[in-house]
Amino acid sequence: MNDDRNGQSIRGNRRDVLKSMTLGAIAAGTAATGVLGGGVLTRSQGQARAADKAIKMAFIQYQPHTVSTAWAKGIQEVLSIQPDTTFQLLDGQAKADVQISLMDTVINDGVNVIFVQPVDSVGIAPSIKKAGKKGIPVFTLNIDSTAPHAAHVEMNHYYGAIEIAKAMGAMLGGKGKVAILNAPPGIIIRDQRTNGFVDGMKKNFPNIQIVADQVADWDRKKAQDVLTTILTANPDLAGVYGVNDSMALGAMDVAKSKGLKLVIFGNDGEKDALEAIEAGDLSGTQYTDVFQQGRFAAATATVLATGGVPATAFTSQGHLLMPYVIATKETVGSIGSFQRW
Amino acid sequence: MTTESLLRATELTKIYGSMVALSNASIEVRPGEVRSLVGANGAGKSTLIKILTGAISPTAGEIVIAGRKVAPGNPRRMIELGIAGVYQHSNLAPTMSVLDNLYLGRQPTLGWGILDRHRQRADALALLSKYQIDLDLDARISELPPVKQKEVEIAKALALEARVMLLDEPTAWLSHSEVERLFRTIRTLKTRGVGIIYISHILDELYEICDTVTILRDGLVVEDCPVASITRPQLLKKLIGDKLASEASGQAGAQTRYPRGTGETKLACEGLSKNGAFDDVSFELCSGEIFCVTGLIGAGRSELMRVIFGADSFDGGRLIIGGEEVLIKSPISAMERGMGFVPEDRHRDGLMLKMSVGQNLVMAILTLISRFGMLRPGLMAHAVSRQISTLKIVPSNPQIAVRKLSGGNQQKVLIGKWLQKRPEILILDEPTVGVDVGAKAEVYAILRSLRAAGAAILVVSSDMEEVMTISDRIMVMRGGRVQGIYDANTVSEYDIVGHVGGQ
Amino acid sequence: MKLLARIPNRELAAVFVSTVATFSFLSATFRTKDNIEDILAGFSHIGLLAIGQAFPILLGGIDLSVGSILALSGMIAFDGFLIFGLPGPLVIPVMLLAATTAGAINGLLIVKCRLQPFIATLATMAAYRGLTYAISGRQIFPQLATQSINDDSLLGFDGNIGPFPYAFFLTVGVAVLAQLVLSFTKFGRDLFTVGGNIEAARLSGINVGQAIVISYAMSGLCAGLAALILVSRMTTSQENLGIGIELSAIAAAIIGGVSLVGGTGNVIGPVIGAFLMGVILIGLSLLGVTTYAQPVLTGAVLLGAVYYDKLAATKRTHRTGTAA
Repeated sequence: MNDDRNGQSIRGNRRDVLKSMTLGAIAAGTAATGVLGGGVLTRSQGQARAADKAIKMAFIQYQPHTVSTAWAKGIQEVLSIQPDTTFQLLDGQAKADVQISLMDTVINDGVNVIFVQPVDSVGIAPSIKKAGKKGIPVFTLNIDSTAPHAAHVEMNHYYGAIEIAKAMGAMLGGKGKVAILNAPPGIIIRDQRTNGFVDGMKKNFPNIQIVADQVADWDRKKAQDVLTTILTANPDLAGVYGVNDSMALGAMDVAKSKGLKLVIFGNDGEKDALEAIEAGDLSGTQYTDVFQQGRFAAATATVLATGGVPATAFTSQGHLLMPYVIATKETVGSIGSFQRW
Repeated sequence: MTTESLLRATELTKIYGSMVALSNASIEVRPGEVRSLVGANGAGKSTLIKILTGAISPTAGEIVIAGRKVAPGNPRRMIELGIAGVYQHSNLAPTMSVLDNLYLGRQPTLGWGILDRHRQRADALALLSKYQIDLDLDARISELPPVKQKEVEIAKALALEARVMLLDEPTAWLSHSEVERLFRTIRTLKTRGVGIIYISHILDELYEICDTVTILRDGLVVEDCPVASITRPQLLKKLIGDKLASEASGQAGAQTRYPRGTGETKLACEGLSKNGAFDDVSFELCSGEIFCVTGLIGAGRSELMRVIFGADSFDGGRLIIGGEEVLIKSPISAMERGMGFVPEDRHRDGLMLKMSVGQNLVMAILTLISRFGMLRPGLMAHAVSRQISTLKIVPSNPQIAVRKLSGGNQQKVLIGKWLQKRPEILILDEPTVGVDVGAKAEVYAILRSLRAAGAAILVVSSDMEEVMTISDRIMVMRGGRVQGIYDANTVSEYDIVGHVGGQ
Repeated sequence: MKLLARIPNRELAAVFVSTVATFSFLSATFRTKDNIEDILAGFSHIGLLAIGQAFPILLGGIDLSVGSILALSGMIAFDGFLIFGLPGPLVIPVMLLAATTAGAINGLLIVKCRLQPFIATLATMAAYRGLTYAISGRQIFPQLATQSINDDSLLGFDGNIGPFPYAFFLTVGVAVLAQLVLSFTKFGRDLFTVGGNIEAARLSGINVGQAIVISYAMSGLCAGLAALILVSRMTTSQENLGIGIELSAIAAAIIGGVSLVGGTGNVIGPVIGAFLMGVILIGLSLLGVTTYAQPVLTGAVLLGAVYYDKLAATKRTHRTGTAA
């Protein structure tokens, strides 16, 4: 039979104390790792920060993507010229509540400027209002929010989409069936890029039918699956409009593997898309110099942050539309390699 | 006592299809009477108990409680009428206090479902003092030793105002002193007029605490008399028939003992110590002998066995196997040296309850019946059927899940698992707890044949009767130390009990 | 007092206080009123989910579907306000009722179909999420995606008294009520009994099936309340709301001392556990640790809590007795 009678109560008490101490030590330890800078910081330091004069900026992205990485690069290029600015890149994990939490944290941390690419235009609105109350200017990139803020810097979604429709319609000879591979709902950019395309088609090529408009989550792989399904229902499909390049490239993959000749247009202007255009696999895309977009945003932000113009001086929301090029085989050569992202 | 009986069941019969489980069985309990109910597994005991507690209805017969005829087959009604069962498996909620458990599911309330703690505590204190049961109402069940948990179960039954209590193997897992304590409680219950049906395989207990005995065999009541009027051999004969009775009766004279077996030392401990468990243990185990280690709970015997088998580590001394000093790091290396271990808690540590008899039997010898890592069904079936017939495992179907077997047969499966490996050294910890007399005899026979084949057998046992029946040499441990090693030929049960107790 | 010595959350409270103290010392921005508000606002809904999760875990089960129930409830609110234009006093009870029913269905699957809680709630986690997408107003009417909910009664949940958001008071209120039920009612005792030894509970005449269904319904209701807070704060809802949040709820419950084997625990601990996680995550953010490290750290804290729970369970067992 087992025995354990002697000293159990003494051992028990000692264990109690040890355990609370261990738990406490873990708590303190995790805090200490943060302070001792455990090698996972993503603040990029400008020069040595004077606590009062340093300007803090944060960019809360939708989720890691070529577009937002390029913006961040553009922003940092501008900021590195300025003295005493720090820049923090944060991941929204494609979740609205995560972005809200991050906004709260950076507001509390005393940032001077916030850039955000909202996951949910409505959901982020209360947080933007909160920042506004504290006099922190907020810039939205590409995806607008319903709450008024300092400025919205976007690619020219609507008009660019009209031009894409025009270019595609011309390539199709004015007739045929097309499908749209779309973004998930909840963001204004989706409406703009879709409406522009639809309006453009209706006005210029009324004989072209849009037979499908399916969600492919901004994702290349998902787009492959979705297009395959669409093709089963519409084997005579002639054209595809991917609301971003990733989805258009997914369509291109499907066309290649099935040996189909489709007219495929994307939107954004990624490096991969430009190469595909040069190779003749992709018909075209709307190219925006995203680095430039980042630089514009950063420059405007710095002006506001250094007090040159206070955010409250804006009586209406600033709206910067980026210039663009509809890149097709003919025009793609004009985009220099340093501009590709 | 000429008072009216609390419970009188007459001519109870239960037939399942063509199988007669119980035939014309009658049993009666008077206030203050402790009646033992004995019978081998399969004799109809559990059927009788289930009828008395209302779990099943008899095919024929009647039950009269306190003079009134009762319709059988209704468990809630039986509880209301004061028939309560205290079983081997725990009916308590381990995370809650004693106070909560006493009134489990029936706590008094103040309306709206809000608990009436005051009344609950007052009621509980009154109950405990009436039956002189000493319990800390706020202690958590899981923190109590087994005997205290048993007392809570008894108190819980008393809280339901039980007049007749069925105690099923109440002393399993209890040490000697705890058994004494339990008997004190039972005696108090007697004085309060509670009737008790006491079910046990341990004959010593029958003779100590019970007034009357009812013996069941093959579904029939073969004897119903005061305990004082039947001798132990007579009782055994009635219980299991003549042939097995003489095998099991273990009169010292009839057994040949082989202290030190063949003389070849298979295993030796020199000054073995483990902090907090045992200290300076030294003995030698020879092939061809059965060496029993006995003592009170807390003496360190099980800890010693686990250390020898490699399940735990030790802190000092040496372990010598086959002449060379070894450091056994795990049961695997112990098995490689030809050791087998049949643990104390067969459910938790020994058997895979949901798996079949066959699967359990071959568990230790999987490499022997496989080729290139794949099990060979032919070899497995052969090994299994041979084992089942040698050990007389009932039922003999190897596909049956082992948890459906009786305790005795489960133990045989567990031993059988190790026998397949033909161990040179076999360690058994309390091998016949909860095993009926018939199966016990069979287990002893198995051990003796192993011994004849030259194995060295180490048995830990708290059952004095068992120790005196099977051992060649006896080692008594007390408080973690070796009190003495005795030749079974030259020492009596009385002496051993004395050494264990501290003379 | 003997009772005081038996409060199981002493050590947790001590850890909470020392963690807060450490971060306050290390970061000036941590010890501001705004930060307290952020932590309370950001983790009250986790606190609610943890309270809800405590009930199934007490029974020895678990509820993996709370994130999906939260999203479903939120989407029902979205549809109710924006598609059907119904007022708050009608929509809010409906969303809560839906959440409670979803939880009760979990309970019924476990009782009637005899499914393991893990399996049953894993299945409903997928099913309720799918249902959320199917009824999503944002997918059916994409223009609604850019419209915010303006209902006064809904927005009324998003306010403050000083640094304390209303959501926090809701969480504390629910915790107090739930604890009263657990400690002072027969139903509460029955829950512990079922969690401690389900057979003993059955044999004692406790309606085990009913206890199970009610517990999972509670978990669902708390998910609905959490949805209410989130939708009120965001003025909208998403289909992917609450994905993965069940892990935080379970972690908070375990940190709060609710044992995974059942039969032990309370609801005060889980609330402290939820805010402790908030303190750690936000504190680390303010100290500059990247958000990528945060799931890793949540996992580490959870691991520590589970290990501690196991040690405590072993300690509660008398060596020769039944294990708790």
